[in-house]
Amino acid sequence: MNIPRILLPLLVVAALFSGYLLRAAFTQPTTTVSMGSAGGKTVECIVDGLKCKGTAAFFTKLYTGVPGIATIETFATEHKAVFSYDPQVITTDRIKSIMEAPLPMRDGSSRQVFTCRTIQD
Amino acid sequence: MKTRYLRYSLMSILLAGVVYLALGFGTRRFEDFCPFGGMESLWGLWRQGEFSCTLGPLNLALLIGILVLALVAKKAFCGWACPIGFLSELGMRLTGLVWHKRPAVPAHTDRWLRLLRYAVFALALYFTYKTGELILRGYDPFFLIFSGFGHGSIGLVSWIVLIATVIGVLLVPMFFCRYLCPLGATFDPFSRLGFIKVVRNDNHCTQCGACQLACPQDLAPFKMNKIRHRDCTNCLECVDACPEKDVLQLKATL
Repeated sequence: MNIPRILLPLLVVAALFSGYLLRAAFTQPTTTVSMGSAGGKTVECIVDGLKCKGTAAFFTKLYTGVPGIATIETFATEHKAVFSYDPQVITTDRIKSIMEAPLPMRDGSSRQVFTCRTIQD
Repeated sequence: MKTRYLRYSLMSILLAGVVYLALGFGTRRFEDFCPFGGMESLWGLWRQGEFSCTLGPLNLALLIGILVLALVAKKAFCGWACPIGFLSELGMRLTGLVWHKRPAVPAHTDRWLRLLRYAVFALALYFTYKTGELILRGYDPFFLIFSGFGHGSIGLVSWIVLIATVIGVLLVPMFFCRYLCPLGATFDPFSRLGFIKVVRNDNHCTQCGACQLACPQDLAPFKMNKIRHRDCTNCLECVDACPEKDVLQLKATL
């Protein structure tokens, strides 16, 4: 059966587009860390600076020992972090301020590594 | 209309999209659209349910979409969408303007060199799975060019690899795609099964060889009845170059 040439670019575009739509089926966190506290509410933050597994691991470490945080899931490609937290112990403002605090660098200076672009309950 | 114009239009749009993302516009990084990243993530996903390094679901979803495409239309992604394939082809056309009688790689050597991409494929996956880092980045022209030697490049070694690849592309048509591309190696078994392919009408073919001269992959369609070769990208350059009417046609056939 003869095939019109125009079908090839249409198939290529369809494959790319269906791949784009299919991505939701494979959404997995880059890291999932349980902090031990009891949860209650979840909050989702879009975080500038959260871009790979390394930065995700570093990001979650910032919350080690912080009371009120139950779990943190990070999604590097979405630049997203999802916190499960106890609202009676910690507030979203506090969660935001922890990630945005300036961090000491190797050269002795300090700088802000993460910026919370949006935060949503 | 020559198929090449249609192909180059689509590839230009996709290349522009990658450049747009690489320049920091948009919400995603250009790497999110690398289908080979899907392959690099499989081990981590299977073992820990996590993606490797900077990779994410889009890499894997695109890989699946393109593998299905290969089952239908062979390596049409390479011939119609890949930015590196497009740049390689432009390099080939550019050198063709000043170097008309480019010597071909001897067939025997070419066959062996085409196996190199399986070694690249195996090394890339082995080291990525072993370390969880995208080891290939420092040697990957796609990453080096579009990231501007970003995080993961390895200084002088990356420069040497990139310059060697560019020289290779200028000397041998589609050098990277033919000999080094690990994504091409991923497609190979699927591409052989692709049922939309170029078919030759043996009765009217004059065996002039114009199809081979036009083929960026240096295949010889005039020696085959159906172009089942794993490296055929369905770019249709051979169909456009054939001086006889309806000798080479795009068909759906097993």
